[in-house]
Amino acid sequence: MTTPAAAPPALDVRGVTVRFAGLLALDDVSFTVAPGTVHAVIGPNGAGKSTCFNVLSGLYRPAAGSVRLGAAELTRLAPHRIAALGVARTFQNIVTTQGTVADNLMLGRHALSHAGFAASALRLPRAVREQRAHLAKAREIAELTGLGAHFDSPVALLSYGDRKRVELARALCLEPRVLLLDEPVAGMNAAERVRMTEVVREIRAELGLSVVLVEHDMGLVMRLADEVTVLDFGRAIAHGTPDRVRRDPEVLRAYLGTTSGEDAA
Amino acid sequence: MSDLRPLLRTCGPYLLTALLLCALPFYLDAFWLRIGLFSMAAAIGAVGLGLLSGTAGQLSLGHAFFLAVGAYGYVWLAGEPGPGLPPALAVVLAVLLAGAAGGLFSPVAGRVKGVYLGVATLALVFLGHHVLLTADSVTGGFNGRSVPPLELGGFTFAESDPELTVLGVPFGGEERLWYLGLALFALTWFTARGLLRGRPGRALVALRDSETAASVMGVHVARYRSAAFVLSSMYAGLAGVLLALSFRRVVPDYFSLALSVDYLAMIVIGGLGSVAGATAGAVFVTALPLLMTRYADQLPLVAAPGSGGGSIGPTEASRYLYGAAIVVILLYAPDGLHGLARRTRARLRRRPPVTGPPGTGPSPGPAGATTTDTSDTTARAKEHTP
Repeated sequence: MTTPAAAPPALDVRGVTVRFAGLLALDDVSFTVAPGTVHAVIGPNGAGKSTCFNVLSGLYRPAAGSVRLGAAELTRLAPHRIAALGVARTFQNIVTTQGTVADNLMLGRHALSHAGFAASALRLPRAVREQRAHLAKAREIAELTGLGAHFDSPVALLSYGDRKRVELARALCLEPRVLLLDEPVAGMNAAERVRMTEVVREIRAELGLSVVLVEHDMGLVMRLADEVTVLDFGRAIAHGTPDRVRRDPEVLRAYLGTTSGEDAA
Repeated sequence: MSDLRPLLRTCGPYLLTALLLCALPFYLDAFWLRIGLFSMAAAIGAVGLGLLSGTAGQLSLGHAFFLAVGAYGYVWLAGEPGPGLPPALAVVLAVLLAGAAGGLFSPVAGRVKGVYLGVATLALVFLGHHVLLTADSVTGGFNGRSVPPLELGGFTFAESDPELTVLGVPFGGEERLWYLGLALFALTWFTARGLLRGRPGRALVALRDSETAASVMGVHVARYRSAAFVLSSMYAGLAGVLLALSFRRVVPDYFSLALSVDYLAMIVIGGLGSVAGATAGAVFVTALPLLMTRYADQLPLVAAPGSGGGSIGPTEASRYLYGAAIVVILLYAPDGLHGLARRTRARLRRRPPVTGPPGTGPSPGPAGATTTDTSDTTARAKEHTP
């Protein structure tokens, strides 16, 4: 597996605001994902975590604010351009396409390969060679994520946890510099969670990429994250290390509803 | 030596089929060859539509329009009035012309999704039909135009010039066109399969299954949608040329909405997203009315063509039949003939291991029952992927 030459650039989110017809989904949210760290975005349901991911991957265009990856401005780019810059993501509800695990992983290689319609139709040696090389790469990534045995099985026949891993592997196939994981262990049983945590830890150590993580499983967040941003009703209410965030009164209020701050919002 | 065996096993069926198809003109008369020709042309068009509707998930009702562009494009380019180009060049240009027509529509085809594209393309058929009827100088108006025969390096795909007899069989237009059709069909098969198994095919499947997933994986959504449309137009153009050559006359009324619907029927019956399925569907939909017309007098409830009265003509009867076929297929085998064949094959392949274990020791009781159960469910397990 090719390791990115240098540490990935920082992902800088500045003052991002998203409105859906009057509803303020994200309100002036800022945070920075330091190179090579795991940055968790947590918050109660409806806090704007997935909206935040959709802005990062280019699916939503914010009303204000900017997202920068190193020197590149992502806010105005189409999703496929952002993918080409090395930002890959998974989805909260599994989104795989028809076919085998190999087909799905090869989709992840799309941005890194070049064979066009004519070359593929005529099966030019160049296209055949390219396909073979990328298939080998995809198999490697399948092994890394524990999908090696399922490489040629149809995705529809896999278990929930395995399909979740297919998504992760597909994102890794992009050889991303920044990996966005949207609830990677949601709906998994304990064993699958442990396994997934191991995989995320491993890929981060091995590939040196930055990970942005949205997750409800606080155990996973506390174990993996270097830095945590807490969202509540579209606003970032706390930043810091997991330990600090856990003791933050604002955060406790948002999660547990304790009346430490009496301001009626 | 033993290295050849796996190669033979994969290529063997293809070789055998190719040999069989090549031998047919020596045994069949012109009627059957014509059915074959129309089927091959339809198969080329259906493969194109299959790429667009089956693989990329974009409905098109405008396929007849692009068939017409190919057919009339060839006739005009190679004929008089027209530039009178060498026919072989005219074939290539007609296909490119159909592709260009698809490209002109790509601002719409790249943005509009699924069934909505079907509605948008509906307009093309009516527009095309109107132009074919009114642009007399190019299209010959209502009566259409006769099709100049294809000529390749002094060899004409027609009754004579040169006279040709192979192994005692006189080679007329049908026999010669049969081989041309086979070659074009093989080309279609080869290219479409390459596309489906390659990078573009995977991108199109992803677009169909989830536009969001495709775009965040780096697929340029609009570009791939348009490309699928252009590609399907080019296959339609090629099919149009072959149809024109086999009919020897092109008339506007053939390229109506009903033709577009026929092509959709082909890919639904055959199974969406598969080249073999599209071919099977094309043969079924094309051959059925021709066969029913031919054997109308021997069929119950079907009147001979031209006999009038209250009974059903063979063309309508065949429409009822394939309408019924679509209903049956959608109910019992939504993945079409292709899926049916695949499942049958899988079942046949699975049988030997199932019959094997009882010989070694028939284990009565729940253990035996559960193992057979799981082997049955593996093929059926299907989960919803959004």
